[in-house]
Amino acid sequence: MIEEQPAASPAFRVASIAILAAVTTVLTRVVQVPLPARGYINLGDVAIVFTAIALGPFSGAISGGLGTALADLLSGPYAFWAPISLVVHGLQGLLVGLIARARPGAVGLQVVGGVVGMAVMAGGYLLAGIFLEGTGPAVTEVPGNLIQGGVGVVLGILVAAAVLRAYPPLKQWKW
Amino acid sequence: MIAEFYSPGSSFLHRWDARAKLLVLPVVLGAFFVPSTPWVLLALAAGIAVVITISLGPAQLLPPLRTLWPVLVLITLLTPPFHTGGGAVLGIRGTTVLSTGGIRTTLTLLLRFLGITYGFFAVVRTLSLDDLVLGLRWFGLPYAACLVMTITLRTIPALAATWHAVRDAHRLRSGTVERKRQPIVRTYLPVLTSVLIEAVKGIPVLAMALESRGFGRSNPRTSFSGLKTGPGLAVDLGALVAVSAALLWPVLVRW
Repeated sequence: MIEEQPAASPAFRVASIAILAAVTTVLTRVVQVPLPARGYINLGDVAIVFTAIALGPFSGAISGGLGTALADLLSGPYAFWAPISLVVHGLQGLLVGLIARARPGAVGLQVVGGVVGMAVMAGGYLLAGIFLEGTGPAVTEVPGNLIQGGVGVVLGILVAAAVLRAYPPLKQWKW
Repeated sequence: MIAEFYSPGSSFLHRWDARAKLLVLPVVLGAFFVPSTPWVLLALAAGIAVVITISLGPAQLLPPLRTLWPVLVLITLLTPPFHTGGGAVLGIRGTTVLSTGGIRTTLTLLLRFLGITYGFFAVVRTLSLDDLVLGLRWFGLPYAACLVMTITLRTIPALAATWHAVRDAHRLRSGTVERKRQPIVRTYLPVLTSVLIEAVKGIPVLAMALESRGFGRSNPRTSFSGLKTGPGLAVDLGALVAVSAALLWPVLVRW
């Protein structure tokens, strides 16, 4: 069954979401990319954009939301951001996947999807930040979120193209 | 990384039922968002800090502060200019920079942020991954969703090790160990591509393993671990009611 129609198998869906959620958690928590100016960003958005483009909007939404929420939970001090990350990054993955699915392989649409997802992510965190930290501190986090989202879009699209070329069976796994 | 999540122990917080701990989280959130004075928020945050000190040790109060101090500094510096109500405390050339309203709002935001952080931290550090999944399952999360969570948590350490191994291999092959300033794309694209190919190749293998173990069948499942039942659960739920009442007492008093 898995060999014939992989994406239709419930076991395959569970496996793909679990593994890509783990990838998202690792790229969010373990990988810290130093910025030229100062500070660090994580590559969680790369995993979300990659999953949404390569495996479709639902995989992108569930694994993106779950992966980032688990990363927050595992961090300890950021645990209370987990429900917010679940929703915000879930929406990001869903939107990137839905827009990119309109014409598979069209890089322009992938970029549009990535930018829309990035805007939703930054806007979602801004709203949550206004509630939790106040307007001033929440606004200061927007540039960092946009830089992280932008790097995620660029690297996510590039890595999706590279992985799809290197591992063609992946093209049959969308759902 | 997983070890940072749960700190084993036998304190009352560790022994408290997972369902009660999950239910207390929205109560903590509600308690800090109910309009009240900074003194009430201080009392609540101090109460949670005392619980952490007793159940996890005083050293555990520091990690959240070490991680979150930049946010706390930003709240302290940037909140007063946005809230200039009340009497002026400090003004520069006729413009109010610090007011009693600003101080009050800053304290409210600081204590709310710290209180919620410590509340979630206390629960997360005393809740084992198995109990978390069992608790969510008890609240009605579908079996497939719980299975996804369990597999994800079990896969994270192996994938993190893969990331480090692949990154080190690429560094050695490209001779970029010593070069710190490299474009992000050139540094990370090859590593990301390798790690993602390695990860997605594991999907069909895992899917076949799940099918072989009967995933998708309707047979009743066996379980080797479970949550409390009977008097133990009743005591824990009673404690939940008491803790909720203590956290929400300002609202209850007003009613």
